[in-house]
Amino acid sequence: MKTSFNKKQILIFIVAIVLIFSLLNFFQKEIKSFFYSFSAPIQKVFWQIGERSSNFLSAVLGARNLKSEKDDLEFKNQKLMIQLAELDKLEEENKSLRQALDLGLEKDFKLAFAQIISKDISQDFILIGKGEKDGILENMPVITEQKVLIGRISETYKKFSKVMLISNKQSSFDAKILNQEECSGIIKGLGNLNLFLDLIPSEKEVFEGDIVVTSCLGGIFPDNLLVGKIKKVKKTDMESFQQADIKPIFDISKSRNVFIILDF
Amino acid sequence: MIKKLLLFIILFYFLALIQTSFMVHFSVWGLIPNLIFFSVIIWNIFERSKNNFGIYQAVAAGFFLDIFSSKIIGFNIIILIYLAIVIKLFLKSYVRIPFLEK
Repeated sequence: MKTSFNKKQILIFIVAIVLIFSLLNFFQKEIKSFFYSFSAPIQKVFWQIGERSSNFLSAVLGARNLKSEKDDLEFKNQKLMIQLAELDKLEEENKSLRQALDLGLEKDFKLAFAQIISKDISQDFILIGKGEKDGILENMPVITEQKVLIGRISETYKKFSKVMLISNKQSSFDAKILNQEECSGIIKGLGNLNLFLDLIPSEKEVFEGDIVVTSCLGGIFPDNLLVGKIKKVKKTDMESFQQADIKPIFDISKSRNVFIILDF
Repeated sequence: MIKKLLLFIILFYFLALIQTSFMVHFSVWGLIPNLIFFSVIIWNIFERSKNNFGIYQAVAAGFFLDIFSSKIIGFNIIILIYLAIVIKLFLKSYVRIPFLEK
């Protein structure tokens, strides 16, 4: 059987492929939704197995560092306990202020809970188990239970939605340094779960470890959702703006559930 | 051949599920090994250079990669077909593996 290629065969093959691709992409939403509907239960099982295996592996590989990690955690724990005591005090103060101003909790976000089904191989998209049927719309913000920003809905299907992570290269939004209202910039995704804070006025003092939160300026995300920590500040005297590398707070490989902000 | 292709379609469907739900937990320096790309490359290397089955296989593999990724349908199919053809042409022109030529 001689099956080597000739020009005619290749041409027919290319034309057929182009036609099929056009047709498939015309019905892309329906096709993907169809596959997701029966693959979701299997993906959930794979996700759980993967998570357990990965936890086990990292525990085995990280055994050497356990002692130093334990000391570090104990130190952090003490620091957190002090912060907790301070927060208790603040919470009481906040409560009384809310009562005084007649502000109820109904003013907080309206949230929808969803489970992560899969993660895109390019790593900056995830698929969640809530879709158009549950009132999910494009561009709705997605957060973790700790109010850490993950991304926003980029595509919706009947029962599923795609979430574009903030680290995606197409993602950019307004952000500010926590407790420094006037120190704002734009967070840009760099891909591979990396973030970058750009356009910070050079006269502002930015330090490593500063916490970056969302700003409501762009209208994309609500105010004060946690984004990340400043990892490295890049400042030159020649430029009027400075930049900083950001370490995202969310750890998508460890998250299983997310919340979608339906209204803010 | 259709039976064989059907078998590979099922295999690639499950590989795509494993890739997007299981393998994502095992990134090494931010990189995740891609089982589907790896399978297509290996098959095309060890397939007889006369056969075209590796190319049909690349179409099936690319299709499932596209379904479970955010790219348009066709993106990974084209990459995999291109990869399969390049491997085949390279092996046909420059490499002889005696036990595969029989």
